[in-house]
Amino acid sequence: MTRCLAGSAEVEMAELYVKPGNKERGWNDPPQFSYGLQTQTGGPKRTPLTKRVAAPQDGSPRASETSPGPPPMGPPPLSSKALGPPSVGSCPVSRVQPTGFRVIESEALMEDVLRPLEQALEDCRGHMKKQVCDDISRRLTLLQEQWAGGKLSVPVKKRMALLVQELSSHRWDVADDIHRSLMVDHVTEVSQWMVGVKRLIAEKRSMSSEEEANEEKSAAAAEENQTIPGFQEAL
Amino acid sequence: MATYLEFIQQNEERDGVRFSWNVWPSSRLEATRMVVPLACLLTPLKERPDLPPVQYEPVLCSRPTCKAVLNPLCQVDYRAKLWACNFCFQRNQFPPAYAGISEVNQPAELMPQFSTIEYVIQRGAQSPLIFLYVVDTCLEEDDLQALKESLQMSLSLLPPDALVGLITFGRMVQVHELSCEGISKSYVFRGTKDLTAKQIQDMLGLSKPAMPMQQARPAQPQEHPFVSSRFLQPIQKIDMNLTDLLGELQRDPWPVTQGKRPLRSTGVALSIAVGLLEGTFPNTGARIMLFTGGPPTQGPGMVVGDELKIPIRSWHDIEKDNARFMKKATKHYEMLANRTAANGHCIDIYACALDQTGLLEMKCCTNLTGGHMVMGDSFNTSLFKQTFQRIFSKDFNGDFRMAFGATLEVKTSRELKIAGAIGPCVSLNMKGPCVSENELGVGGTSQWKICGLDPTSTLGIYFEVVNQHNAPIPQGGRGAIQFVTQYQHSSTQKRIRVTTIARNWADAQSQLRHIEAAFDQEAAAVLMARLGVFRAESEEGPDVLRWLDRQLIRLCQKFGQYNKEDPTSFRLSDSFSLYPQFMFHLRRSPFLQVFNNSPDESSYYRHHFARQDLTQSLIMIQPILYSYSFHGPPEPVLLDSSSILADRILLMDTFFQIVIYLGETIAQWQKAGYQDMPEYENFKHLLQAPLDDAQEILQARFPMPRYINTEHGGSQARFLLSKVNPSQTHNNLYAWGQETGAPILTDDVSLQVFMDHLKKLAVSSAC
Repeated sequence: MTRCLAGSAEVEMAELYVKPGNKERGWNDPPQFSYGLQTQTGGPKRTPLTKRVAAPQDGSPRASETSPGPPPMGPPPLSSKALGPPSVGSCPVSRVQPTGFRVIESEALMEDVLRPLEQALEDCRGHMKKQVCDDISRRLTLLQEQWAGGKLSVPVKKRMALLVQELSSHRWDVADDIHRSLMVDHVTEVSQWMVGVKRLIAEKRSMSSEEEANEEKSAAAAEENQTIPGFQEAL
Repeated sequence: MATYLEFIQQNEERDGVRFSWNVWPSSRLEATRMVVPLACLLTPLKERPDLPPVQYEPVLCSRPTCKAVLNPLCQVDYRAKLWACNFCFQRNQFPPAYAGISEVNQPAELMPQFSTIEYVIQRGAQSPLIFLYVVDTCLEEDDLQALKESLQMSLSLLPPDALVGLITFGRMVQVHELSCEGISKSYVFRGTKDLTAKQIQDMLGLSKPAMPMQQARPAQPQEHPFVSSRFLQPIQKIDMNLTDLLGELQRDPWPVTQGKRPLRSTGVALSIAVGLLEGTFPNTGARIMLFTGGPPTQGPGMVVGDELKIPIRSWHDIEKDNARFMKKATKHYEMLANRTAANGHCIDIYACALDQTGLLEMKCCTNLTGGHMVMGDSFNTSLFKQTFQRIFSKDFNGDFRMAFGATLEVKTSRELKIAGAIGPCVSLNMKGPCVSENELGVGGTSQWKICGLDPTSTLGIYFEVVNQHNAPIPQGGRGAIQFVTQYQHSSTQKRIRVTTIARNWADAQSQLRHIEAAFDQEAAAVLMARLGVFRAESEEGPDVLRWLDRQLIRLCQKFGQYNKEDPTSFRLSDSFSLYPQFMFHLRRSPFLQVFNNSPDESSYYRHHFARQDLTQSLIMIQPILYSYSFHGPPEPVLLDSSSILADRILLMDTFFQIVIYLGETIAQWQKAGYQDMPEYENFKHLLQAPLDDAQEILQARFPMPRYINTEHGGSQARFLLSKVNPSQTHNNLYAWGQETGAPILTDDVSLQVFMDHLKKLAVSSAC
């Protein structure tokens, strides 16, 4: 179902969009950036717009060198004559704006999302207090109700499908990151039940690291005789 | 080193410092004649992706009064394994671990490229970060809902092992017990009565009998969290219950009658928050985050009464000494801020309301503790939501961009003394031989505490040259300063960042040109502005302006080239050429002018000005203006009314606002829909270019600025028109040859008039 490469996974999985601010409640409210855009680190750094022009020493504005005289009253120059100037740097944002979802084309199915989550909960049962399990279970039910009741948007469903895949393939960090992106971008829809999913990711992660630790312990015991003393760290 | 500009830039990137002077006048007398003090902007935790911390502890000078850190300026005798302190000249033995050093095998801290180095300290218990939410429930439904969602969202962004707590307030104050069990309990306090820390701890059951504590301590020094009790719990344990608790928060149930303000007990709520942390987690990284939607209206710290017909104080009321609650409220919050700082905690204020909320009275809570101050119209805005999200942003290593409980210590070579600091800090009152008696900013100490800081937090630090005129410094001598910042990293590690810098001394009489060429006018402008704003907080506005003017005139007299009494002959060299215009724009800025701003707005603007780094501070003083046209790539243009042309799009960044302004012709083309015609695609690109650039700024800026899209004749064009130099006004509009630019309706003086006066005064022998 997914075809994303390991290296570009994070980029592919993030939703990249900008939506307008709330002009009704906030005077000149700025636009809102999605989680993916806020956390984006890659891409070329553009030149920061911090240049200043020195005023001539008499303080009077110099005649603008490029001033074309009286402003043209006709139409703007045709594209063939002059290409529009680029923005100061190359801007990654405008190009990626409406990417949408390349990863999963078809609508995610509720069962595909819920079943693995319920399975994960079962796996963790011995690991957590009963009350916590019940609490998570209650939230999964809530998720199911909202999904079945048509209350979840397409992006939320798709990203949940992705989250579950990452969870199943034990990529905890990526799953956790998807959970965060959903909380940031779609908090109204997901806040009630997402915390249960978040807890599941954390529990699964701690279970698997315990297992690893046990394995390592036995491996380390075997290797003990072969370690070479290291150099003094300070030098 | 090719030029001083490059030198300055390299030093800023490597050490996070910008000095007003990069070659230092060698005597006290000459230094005072330089007008601009020897000072620097220091960004103690400047992001250094190329600087991995070392996993050992710094080596200190053995002289008890010095304790400077071993650094690249120290002389080392590799054979005898000795090093000489470059501050006090004490000879020190290297510790045993350094037995293997030689010229070719040096530890990092001796290499010149490690003038800034960071040490990770392994000793001592690591305590988790603490986030205590203090939430106003006297909000409109829509606002409260948005705030609740933002708080729920933040639980996903916090470090999973952080401790969280929740206090809500309206007419009463509720301290919520957090547990994994299903039942939620809370302690209710009256909002009218102030309580001492002891009373609060008693009432919350935090006071432990002395005996068992003392017994437990030596055995389990790391078991601190179990005091954490019911009010502060690890997020990963209680996130589900806290999510529900937040979701179920209701508006304050007490009825508010017509013509009244809701009763809001902000003062008591904050006091309880401070007392709770004071009793449970002194001296460990903690943030109190206050979310409020209006002014405190009852109890200690009230700023305005509940009668709506009596408005909250204005500048006019303050001038007329008619602000009834101001002094008492300010005192209350100052007391809380000082206690918080003493505990090493910080307070953030997120104030979202259309009217004032009392930031003027509460500002010390953020300013003394290094907390954030955010001012918005509503919690249901992108401005608040994204600003809040960015508190939890991470750096290139995936670490949170926040640090706690820092102590900054400054050491100087003996020709220098420390005059003071201006920034989000409090004095630690550490006297010593390198502390000057003349204070600039917060002085009388060589150490300051910065309870909350991030990679951009920047302090202005001021020095005094004390070398006597008749005691010359040897040829080629250098002065040195060391900055030692101990702090709690967001990973809860204890770390120490050490920066050691040196600059050449020069004799101001024979080598004035050297000193002049090494002047950093940008740093100088910001450092002088910080001094001005610091004074403005305590003095009357006009006095500060007069002081700034006098300093500028004296600087021009000293460094300008002119014939006496001949203003037309006046010239400034390149290294000073921008300085007068910075001062011109500073005089008009909201940091020194209160006209058209509420007391809360002034407090807000000044708060940010006193902590941002040089680049951002300079944008605040003189906004950036870029012009987009068909005539070439976007270019920076003069912040001047002559830059407002019909066939240009302008992008202005004032730090707090991003303005995009379409010139008259551009706006007409846009209305005619040329951008939608394929043959005019270039016009579409032209319209898009400033939007993309603005987006880039918006994505990085903290706090989120307001975003204004306007055009020629639009009412919001006033934001641009009020910032540009009014070189063309309604007064000189009809003069000859004024065809371009936009006249500004103002009686303010223009830069030209300002410069004319400046020159006249500078060349005059009268002053």
